[in-house]
Amino acid sequence: MHRLLYIAILVSTLVLPVSAQELRLPNKPGSVKFAVIGDTGTGDQNQRAIANELASWRTRYPFDFVVMMGDNIYGGEKPSDFDKKFAGPYKPLLDAGVKFYAALGNHDDAAVQRNYKPFNMNGERFYSFKPQNNVRFFALDSNYVDKAQLDWLNKELTASGSGWKIMFFHHPLYSSGETHGSAEQQRGLLEPVFLKHGVNVVLSGHEHFYERIKPQKGIAYFIIGSSAKLRKGDLQKSDLTAFGDDREYAFMLMEIAGDELFFQTINQSGKTIDVGSVKRVSTEPAPGRSTQPVVPQAKPSPAQPGPRQSK
Amino acid sequence: MKLIRILIVAVLTVSCNRATTPERTDHQSDEAAPRAASSETRQPAVTPQPTTLPSQGEKPVPARTPIADQAKATGVNPDAAVLADFTSRINAYMKLRKEAIKDAPPLKETKDPAKIKAAQDGMSREIRAARANAAHGDIFTPEITAQFRRMLSPELKGDDGRDAKAIIKDDAPTNITFKVNAKYPEGAPVPTVPASLLVNLPTLPEPLQFRIIEKHLVLVDEDADVIVDYALNIIK
Repeated sequence: MHRLLYIAILVSTLVLPVSAQELRLPNKPGSVKFAVIGDTGTGDQNQRAIANELASWRTRYPFDFVVMMGDNIYGGEKPSDFDKKFAGPYKPLLDAGVKFYAALGNHDDAAVQRNYKPFNMNGERFYSFKPQNNVRFFALDSNYVDKAQLDWLNKELTASGSGWKIMFFHHPLYSSGETHGSAEQQRGLLEPVFLKHGVNVVLSGHEHFYERIKPQKGIAYFIIGSSAKLRKGDLQKSDLTAFGDDREYAFMLMEIAGDELFFQTINQSGKTIDVGSVKRVSTEPAPGRSTQPVVPQAKPSPAQPGPRQSK
Repeated sequence: MKLIRILIVAVLTVSCNRATTPERTDHQSDEAAPRAASSETRQPAVTPQPTTLPSQGEKPVPARTPIADQAKATGVNPDAAVLADFTSRINAYMKLRKEAIKDAPPLKETKDPAKIKAAQDGMSREIRAARANAAHGDIFTPEITAQFRRMLSPELKGDDGRDAKAIIKDDAPTNITFKVNAKYPEGAPVPTVPASLLVNLPTLPEPLQFRIIEKHLVLVDEDADVIVDYALNIIK
């Protein structure tokens, strides 16, 4: 009897890590597949651990690009720093043709980074790109929200149609972080524009933890600033928090298929720490709400092993 | 002759009306002035004083140009006149900058950060040489500095003001050398400019940016990594 119990415990402990490392995204053909990392540019072991996990997960989930939430290069920005803090750690991904799209953080030298080709910023502080019809990403410079940027954003959003509109920038408009907290000043300027033009999802960093915010005015917010730096104990879970983790380094995988966006957040050991999806819905316009609100879904499609890529 | 007389009367009437326009309160002028300066189509309220930024062999512009007094004397909004003077000085810098870097390798996208740094250093070198005699106060004259303090003062009060000050302190760099033509220290964080303050400051042409470090406002040429000028104790 004892022996059977022992075997049962052994089997269950073996199964759990496997389950935690399962791909929980639909991995549908033709969907938009990407990864999200933030506050990465340390060049240390923690950055490399997440970079290795990214490369490993890509064999199961072939994402085409990575969006970076800023603080891409901490400290010095000599040419050797770009190797140590970016090109080196992500070499397997860069060699595989994965594109990186960077936003600027408060530790970044804007003039240098926006002209660094592997960051795909086209020489601009703020820019947009369209990986596929019906999905557009907007990288903003939340360090310096001036009139020029707001005018550009209004114009770009007006022209972008009714597809998915995903913002990414450094400072989180909503946050439960003790050190920084919500960037209310930027929120005052950006949120009305987001609501007016039907922005669906906002990704940020700055806080060195992971936090999934409850949708605010129909917009889904994620903070992922722990892909190389961690501020343990800084997340003061609040009414804003749907889920948070300030104990582990993390990155996100995301997938957009039709009107649903799936996400899976993974730590430095390859363990899944959060999973879910949001769905765009069609509703009547309402004041104080995005014109294309999202609603949280029940757990997304069950784990589906993705096709393994041959090396 | 009669026509000339009519014209003279008309001009006098207009100038009298201007002179009797009630003085704006501080609050009104704080709101209105930046718009006047940032509008691309609006003409400056007064003809800007001829300002030349110091270049080699030139003396710095006298900082105590009584722009506001002159404006008052001609019935023009003094706040708008001071901001027009600021715009004029910025335009002069941009003109000098354009001339200085015309033969320097341009800053352009490349996968080699060494080339970007070399281009930045080249621009920086040329601009610093062209402004070898540049001095503190060339752009932020005492009048302009005082005007900026007035413009930002309401935004630094109450909860919003506390928020703005907290942002300035957040990840604030230390040991910055406030020196015209100096480089921004490599690796130092770039302090976020509180959005509430930024919207109250004049819009700058690319690649100029305002930065607030501790209590001081710094004007930076971001592409060339040059401190163009600074205004001390802007934040109270």
